[in-house]
Amino acid sequence: MSFWDARFLWEEPMLAAVLASAMLGYLGLFVVLRRIGFMSAALSQVSGLGVALAFLAGSFAGVTPHTETPPWLHPSLWALAFASLGAAAMAVLGRSRRGTPETVVAVAYVGASSLVLLVLASPRLVQEAHEIGDLLFGNAVVVRRQDLWNLGLAALLVSAVHGLLFRSFLFASFDSDAARVAGVPVQRVDLLLHLSLALEVAVATRALGTLPVFSFLVLPAGAALLLAERLTLVLLLSVVIAVSCAVGGYVLSWFLSLPTGPVMVVLGVAVWSLAGLRRLVRTRFR
Amino acid sequence: MELLALDSVAIGYQRDRPLLPPISFSVARGDLVGILGPNGSGKTTFLRTLLGLLPPLHGALRYPMGRKPRLGYVTQNPQFDLTYPLSVLEVVLMGRIAQLGLLRRPGKEDLAIAEQELEAVGLRALSSQPFRALSGGQRQRVLVARALAGAPDLLMLDEPTSNMDVAAEHALLSLVRSLSATRSMAVVFVTHEISAAAENARTVVLLDSARSYFASGPVDTLLTSETMSTLFGHPVEVRHENERVFVWLSANGGRSDPQ
Repeated sequence: MSFWDARFLWEEPMLAAVLASAMLGYLGLFVVLRRIGFMSAALSQVSGLGVALAFLAGSFAGVTPHTETPPWLHPSLWALAFASLGAAAMAVLGRSRRGTPETVVAVAYVGASSLVLLVLASPRLVQEAHEIGDLLFGNAVVVRRQDLWNLGLAALLVSAVHGLLFRSFLFASFDSDAARVAGVPVQRVDLLLHLSLALEVAVATRALGTLPVFSFLVLPAGAALLLAERLTLVLLLSVVIAVSCAVGGYVLSWFLSLPTGPVMVVLGVAVWSLAGLRRLVRTRFR
Repeated sequence: MELLALDSVAIGYQRDRPLLPPISFSVARGDLVGILGPNGSGKTTFLRTLLGLLPPLHGALRYPMGRKPRLGYVTQNPQFDLTYPLSVLEVVLMGRIAQLGLLRRPGKEDLAIAEQELEAVGLRALSSQPFRALSGGQRQRVLVARALAGAPDLLMLDEPTSNMDVAAEHALLSLVRSLSATRSMAVVFVTHEISAAAENARTVVLLDSARSYFASGPVDTLLTSETMSTLFGHPVEVRHENERVFVWLSANGGRSDPQ
């Protein structure tokens, strides 16, 4: 079967990857400029903890793989709630005078990772283990219809918030004190930026997996910053690189029979390396 | 007309450990204030309290006009992250955010004002250049233009000349002084250079948290050899002649070196 003939297999996953990578490529600019790359990894783990706890709570409420999950126990809802709480905590604590953002992110990452493992070790979750694994770590090849809807809604919401507040996000990131003096409510703006990141990470991780999400938040924006000097061009390049790596990853993984997620990541690393090499050559031989 | 006033304000970060004794101080339109003190004396903490970035531990920060004055703030030079891919014009336009509100985009009028402020600081020709490609002195001028773009009643600068050579420092402070004269705007700047305060301020604030010392008054009366020597813990000679102020650091045995 040719790649095109098999499009019923990859149409929806690729659409999900394009949506997620475009949004992550855009948000990545703030992630890289604010030096919070590992926050996305921490948010993935924190939202994963929400998923694991949703299943554990379900087991106490009598939910089994053969019964319908009540809406309030839906893993995606818990993932989003936990990611939002984690993002809010990181936004507030990261600005405190005594804490450092790196420490807060590290505590969130190791704390959530360990708790996920402890929850998964519960004998109450033996039957659900496989499903939880997919939900926790995602699977770029198979995407549920619900995940696609979630990605679309998240993209709409994040686009609307950033369309309205982009300048405030930028000013608060670039010079938070001057922004506060100019009347920008920096703490609330930071919180909104982190919540938009949490929303996108929570839905994209369920659809693509932890590793591609982390890489789409860091590599395209990092490469774009090496390639361009203008803000609009950097943003555009970051989105184009992210989407190209997502689509390229799908196509290559099909023809080379390789796992999709890692191929997307390797493509991102290759683009970032080439951008770095170009910058190095231009700096050296200018 | 007073723009802001501190009434018996204690400044610092811990309620039970104020850095200085209670301070009463005000800034009026047209004032030119230099905040002077040795490193770590609490200058920036005092400025941040005036700006409203740091709440007073005790006492009150008042706005006698009945509203908060429009403030322009020029942050310390080394704080800037040069990874940001921003043009000079984009940085200056940030200063219009108070007029635009959070949701509106800059229009033609905002662009014209940004260009005009770049002209005022002598950098209009560089408006499309990347901010990160500028020299330290030029970057500080851009930040002054950004602060001016918000049409401030009061411009505050935190060590604006740190990491600058003497010529760039002189040029920047002269520019700020002349802008304050033409716009009836108050200016408050932090410095640890006696000569910068002597040359560019009409009022000085002297402070040293290590000795719980705070004083404010006109340059002519407060900038003396005695106060400067006490403030900096080193013999300093200050002489006022023909509306100019000369400052020397006295070395051993009365030998004097110009600062």
